[in-house]
Amino acid sequence: MEFNLSTFVLEIINFLILIWILQRLFYKPLMEVIAKRKLFIDQSLSDAKNLQQQAEQQFNLYENRQKLWEQEKQTAITALHRQLEAERKEHLDKLNADLEQERQKAKVLLSKQQRELQQQTEKQALRNAAKFAGMLLQQSAGSELEARLFAMLISNLTTLPEACKQSLTTLGTKKSVPIKITSAYPLTAEMRHQLEQKLGELINNQINFQYHQDEALIAGLRMDIGAWVLNANLQHELIGFAEFGYEPE
Amino acid sequence: MENEFTFALGPLVIGTSIITTWGIMLAVAAIAWISTRRLDMLRPGTMQTTAEGIVATIDEAITAVAPEHGQQIMPFIASLWLFLIIANLLGLIPGLHSPTRDLSVTSALAVVVFFSVHWFGIKTQGLKNYLHHYLSPSPILLPFHIISELTRTLALAVRLFGNMLSLEIAAMLVLLVAGFLAPIPVLMLHIIEALVQAYIFGMLALIYVAGAIKSQQFNSQE
Repeated sequence: MEFNLSTFVLEIINFLILIWILQRLFYKPLMEVIAKRKLFIDQSLSDAKNLQQQAEQQFNLYENRQKLWEQEKQTAITALHRQLEAERKEHLDKLNADLEQERQKAKVLLSKQQRELQQQTEKQALRNAAKFAGMLLQQSAGSELEARLFAMLISNLTTLPEACKQSLTTLGTKKSVPIKITSAYPLTAEMRHQLEQKLGELINNQINFQYHQDEALIAGLRMDIGAWVLNANLQHELIGFAEFGYEPE
Repeated sequence: MENEFTFALGPLVIGTSIITTWGIMLAVAAIAWISTRRLDMLRPGTMQTTAEGIVATIDEAITAVAPEHGQQIMPFIASLWLFLIIANLLGLIPGLHSPTRDLSVTSALAVVVFFSVHWFGIKTQGLKNYLHHYLSPSPILLPFHIISELTRTLALAVRLFGNMLSLEIAAMLVLLVAGFLAPIPVLMLHIIEALVQAYIFGMLALIYVAGAIKSQQFNSQE
């Protein structure tokens, strides 16, 4: 291999031409495209970075808002629970009070009903007792019992309370005092005499005695002196016995 | 060695090396034109991607050595690499010979490198500043600087020429002695050697040019 000057010179020229061709057709367009792409990528990265920053800001903002909302929600829930608890307690207390009141009412009502039932029972018992006593006394009554009741009347007239005696005395101020005497059996003359004498001692005035007979009295007698009514008979006693249950305690 | 085809064009004698070089230039120009005629910034094709990969890789290697003047020297160094790779590998094609096995070609490339070093040095620093570095650190060293410039240029030319010529001769001898399939490992070695030699020549040229550009900076720092 020998050194050839023509080859040497032409090779230099060829290489310089090759540099020019490559620079024009290869390096320059490719470097421009690469530079544009790099610029585009840098721009895109910058935009993406800005977007990321904005997104992070938005994220932080919404995260803070969410935290605030969570706190508000918890506060509201706590307040709601307290309110509900207070209302529940209030309603429960009211319900308990109403229940206690109703219980007391029921208790009073029950007590009243029991008392009424007891009274009814007692009344019924007294009525039955009076009825049976009346039936028994109607069968067993007689002139002896009549006489005994008369004696008891005379005795009681002697031992009248002072207020009653005073009332009878005031009747004496009238012109004539009518006294209606009703008996189950006819009174004997002696009985009428004892009675008129005894009443005459109590009432210092003229007395107009009227005698009647009423078998409903069973035994004994009844005196109507003006507004006064003196009973000494079994009917009145039995009625009183039966009405004993009607009297309030 | 077989007789080479030559013809005369006026005073110039055109040999196979020049014809092969023209062929390489035509092929490179065609490939460059095809790969860059429809450039797309966002959706590059396969050829564009490959071309961008080659250019970006070369640019990266040059920028690593001369970061401030990479864009300026990139066309020269990249052209050297591309031409040498293609020229060195051309010897693998039966019937063709690598132009770099011709001392005239490697000498021409070495001389181009020699003048490029001074061209880029003077362009970046100015003639006075550039020539001043031959006198530093002492004017006594001027002859040694000149000898260094000449010998390294000569070394560039002879290194590439010797390696490529010996490689082709070795491959031919093995083919003659061992038969048809035996040279395959030698051909593999040829590929590696071709790439390495292209790399060495281009890298040395890059270092020389970068050194010339930076010499004034070293002087200023001193």
